[in-house]
Parts: sequence; structure tokens; C-alpha cells
Amino acid sequence: MSKKTINIPLGSQHISLLEPVRFKFECENETIVGVDSDVGFVHRGVERACTTKFKYDTIGYVVARICGLCAITHSMSYTAGVEKLLEAQITQKAKYLRMLLLELDRIHSHMLCLSHTAESAGFEAMFMRIMGDREDVMQIQELLTGNRIQFDYVSIGGVNRDIDTLRAKEIALQLAKLQKKIYGYIEEFENNWSLSLKFKGVGGLSLEKAYMFNAIGPLARAAGLAIDVRNEIDYLPYKEIGFKMQTGSGGDIHARNTVRLNEILNSIEMCQNILEGLPEGEIFTKVKGKPQGETVVRYEAPRGELMYYIKGNKTAILERVRIKTPTFSCIPAFSDIFLNQSYADAPAILASFDPCLSCTAK
Amino acid sequence: MLHSLFKAFTNLFSKPQTLDYPATPIRKDKEYRGLIEYSETDCIYCLKCEKACPPGAILFTPTDQPSENEKNKKALEYHYNPYLCIYCGECVRACPKPQEALWQSNKKQPIASKQDAVNEQWFVLEAQHKKFYNTH
Amino acid sequence: MMQKIKIEIGEVIETIESFYKPKVWHFLTLNGVSLDANKLEVQWIFSRYEALDDIVIYYVEISYETLIPSITELIPSAIISQRELVDMFGVCVEGSEKGLYLDEDSMQKPLAGCSI
Repeated sequence: MSKKTINIPLGSQHISLLEPVRFKFECENETIVGVDSDVGFVHRGVERACTTKFKYDTIGYVVARICGLCAITHSMSYTAGVEKLLEAQITQKAKYLRMLLLELDRIHSHMLCLSHTAESAGFEAMFMRIMGDREDVMQIQELLTGNRIQFDYVSIGGVNRDIDTLRAKEIALQLAKLQKKIYGYIEEFENNWSLSLKFKGVGGLSLEKAYMFNAIGPLARAAGLAIDVRNEIDYLPYKEIGFKMQTGSGGDIHARNTVRLNEILNSIEMCQNILEGLPEGEIFTKVKGKPQGETVVRYEAPRGELMYYIKGNKTAILERVRIKTPTFSCIPAFSDIFLNQSYADAPAILASFDPCLSCTAK
Repeated sequence: MLHSLFKAFTNLFSKPQTLDYPATPIRKDKEYRGLIEYSETDCIYCLKCEKACPPGAILFTPTDQPSENEKNKKALEYHYNPYLCIYCGECVRACPKPQEALWQSNKKQPIASKQDAVNEQWFVLEAQHKKFYNTH
Repeated sequence: MMQKIKIEIGEVIETIESFYKPKVWHFLTLNGVSLDANKLEVQWIFSRYEALDDIVIYYVEISYETLIPSITELIPSAIISQRELVDMFGVCVEGSEKGLYLDEDSMQKPLAGCSI
């Protein structure tokens, strides 16, 4: 006699979801045996807008509004692609300032994901504490760029605002205070008994499957696959400021949290190195010409690898802009991780993937 | 585990982290990106700010009562929409006289209600602008 | 460094099967570029693990009615890119149905013939 299965949705409206995604689970006695996913609730047609309505020098502001958490990574990747097509030279100071904002963005995005994972496990007090500490990072970002999330900092040829040495010292001190708090969180995530029941051994991805599904970002690094796009690019000097790739083993929720916490520590060190060793020079150089030809540019957003394909034909309006976002290419891996897990763990597993659906359904 | 018990105990005696806005005013930084402000007497009517704006929040439309600025040869008037603006500052960077004719302050955007009919007034200006550029 | 290699629609599966090794090459995505009202270029983009910017693109030039073969038996993660290509350009890919992003009452195949 065959077993009967029931369909339970983790619907687009759910109490623990931050993002509008729908998974339909086919469950047999609380164990998930089949997954069907539906994304695309917030499709806005950005790729078509980039080729019909906006000129090539304003698209940096358009693509920054695809996502709130990784806004500057989108506008940075697009600008790097257009600068490659125009063969522009950027000063070293502008590159360092861009890296400073990119790493600050990574810190606040990982803190949001960790607090949401703790909340899904039931530990609301830690959710509030991490969000309270994240406010310090948001205030640093407001001092540097004038706004907390949409920075509008990068434009073709350099950056828009400068930083003086007094402010740089203040920011380095605040980052040192944040570092002590992160050490406290690492200890809590490792040793707290009730969190370990929810996180250790749950929602795992093995190394073979990570290769098979082309996993990227912290999902892949926690399974042992050592891939990080910051190792594979040369338009930003990451090796000079002390970048170290963080990997884990086991691929379960606890490994992903540990990888994210270690990445926050590495980003704080990189920001302090940038603030101490900021070179002199101009922050903006004028770039002439219109883009022609095609290019592929990749960058490591907080959730994984982001790719831009840009094709221009020497007019002010581009011919094709293709955006591949990290959560989009991980959806087959997500559908595979859910199999043979218990339904009650599904919200915690989904929160640990750190999905960003506004990037996925552009 | 003992550490979190200790932390929970000390939290009983410390201040809450939330600010009770509007009783406590928010600290505002002088470099916050706010409204764009314009001084008509220094403007040279080069129209670079209109071309540089990404969402098209600055428009120069023809008017019957032009100002007395001698550079205003085509009898145009400046209009700014604070509800379309994204506060990026591209117009200030494109202006040839950045702190005299056009600059960015740190004031917050005003709040509009339905009676103000902001969108309808702006659509009328956009139609005038399109007609002017189609005939010139 | 980016390499673009042109192939024919009939040899897509054999070429990718002989080229792709799971621990050496990383599959990025599928891409479609509209050339004019009747022709379309479909690209398969790969990058090498642990190399500095080594990107290989295989592309075909076809019309909008041609059936595109599916590579999900070799590369299971390509299914989601194939469904997006069907929605955005209105082409047919084996084993992928419409409806990932677009509803029935929205504008259909928005990027087809877009460069004109």
C-alpha cells in the first residue's frame, strides 16, 4: 500500500518570512519528500528599463534600487563593467573608498541574516541585541554617505564624497568596539545549548552536491567548497588589504552561521586597514566616450556571486544588460536541501539561506 | 550559558535602546542628503542639471513672465519636484556654479496630502516641456 | 579574459558534455540577446574555479521559433535560467514551462526584439 502525502505550503504570507517566496512541500508524516518553488512576486522589469528608458550614465542609480541590502554591490558591478568598456583609469584612493563601503555593506547584511536566524529558532532576545548593535554600523554609513541604505556613492570615474582623517579615526574606534561584541556572539552561537538543538546537523549540504548544483556564497563555503569571487578579480585590490577566505565544514545551519561571523570579523579588519592606509589623491576622474562592445563582470555580494553582462553600441542607450543575482542561481540547491528534513525546521533553514527575493525577481 | 544569564540580569538595570521619537529629536547630521535648493540670480541657464537628473525631477518650461536675468534667453522657468527626486546630487555635480546657483541642503522632504494634487500639477508641466522640445 | 565560441544548435549538448567538468568549470547562467526582430543569440556562460577572470561563452544564433535543447541532465542548476529565458523572450526550451515571473495579464515576452 503506498503512503499518502499531503501538500503544505510555506506560503508567500507566513509569520516567519521576511521575503515573498512560496514553497509547496509534499509531506509524508512531517518529513518533506517533494519541493516546488515559486519566486517572482516582485518582478519589476528592470532589465527592460535599462535598455529603453535610461541613459548609460544614470543606470548606476537604477540598478542600486533593485535591492536594499546589496544596493552598492549592484551599482559597483555595473560601474566596473562600463569602466572596462570605456577603458577608464580610476585612482587608487577611489578604489580604497569603494572597498570600504562594500565591506561595511557586507557587515550589516550578515548581521541582519544572523539576527533573523536566531529569531526563527525562538531566541528573540538575541535578535534584538544584534539589531541594536547593527545600528552602530548604520550610523557610520550615514556619516560617510549621507544615507543609511541607498548610498548613491559610486559613479563612473570614481566616488562622490571624500573622507577626512579625523572622521576616519572616529570610525576605526567604533569598529573596534563592534569587534568585541562580535566575539561575544561567536561564543554564544557556539555554546548555547538550545540553539545547538535547532542548528547543528539540520539542513546540511554535502561537498559533492555543492559541486553538482554550482552553489555559491556562504552556502558553498560552509560545505567546504572554497570559492570566493574576491579571489578572482583584479579591478579592486583585495590582496593588499588583508582578505582571507573563510570556509567551514559540514554544511549545516551552524556552519553557515560560523562562516558569516568569521566574515564579519575579516571585514572589520579590512576596514581598519583601509582607514589606516588610505592613499592620497583625487576621488574622481572625468571619463569621456560611449560604451561599445560586450563584457562580463562578477563581484561577491554578501549572498554570493553577482554577474553583469553589458553590451553597448556607441550610443547613449545600451543594447543589453543581463543581471544574474546570487539567490537566483541557488534556488535548485535550496530545493534539494529541504528533502528529508522535518517540516518544523523549514523556517529556520530558509532563514539561514539568507534569500533576497527582490534581487531574484528583478 | 552563564554568560547569557549574567547579561540578562544586567539588562534589567540598563536603559532601553529605543529612542522615544518624537519626544526626543533624532540627531541630524549636517551632511545628510536633503532637498536641492536653487538661486535664480546666479543661474546661467545652461540646462545641464536637467539633462543629468536620472528620474527627471528638474524641468525648465517656457513662461510668459520671464525673470530679469540676462542669461535667460529663451524665457524659461525652473521647476523642481521633491517627490520624484532621489537626492543623489548629480545635478549639483553637473552645475558649472555648484554652491552659488544650485546646492544640496540637509532639510527633509515635505509631506504631501491628496488635496495638494502634486502629481497632476507635475504632469501638466511635463506636457508643456515635451511640447516645447518638439517644436524647438 | 573572455572567450566567445560559436557553435550550431545541433551540437550544443555534445560540446557542453565534452567541455564541462564539475570540479574545474562553474556554470554561471544562460543569456539571451536580441539581435533584430527575427534573430536571437543564446549564450551559455562558464567560468573557471580559482582562476583570475577566465570566462568562456558558447553561443548560437537562431530564430525565435527554434527549439533549444535542455542541459539539465548534465547541469541540474540550469533549470531556473531556462525558465527565465522562456518567460523573457518567448522561445521554447525542452522541459521548461512559462510562468516564472510573468502572469497571463502582464506584458508578454518583454525583451524580444528589444534592441530596435
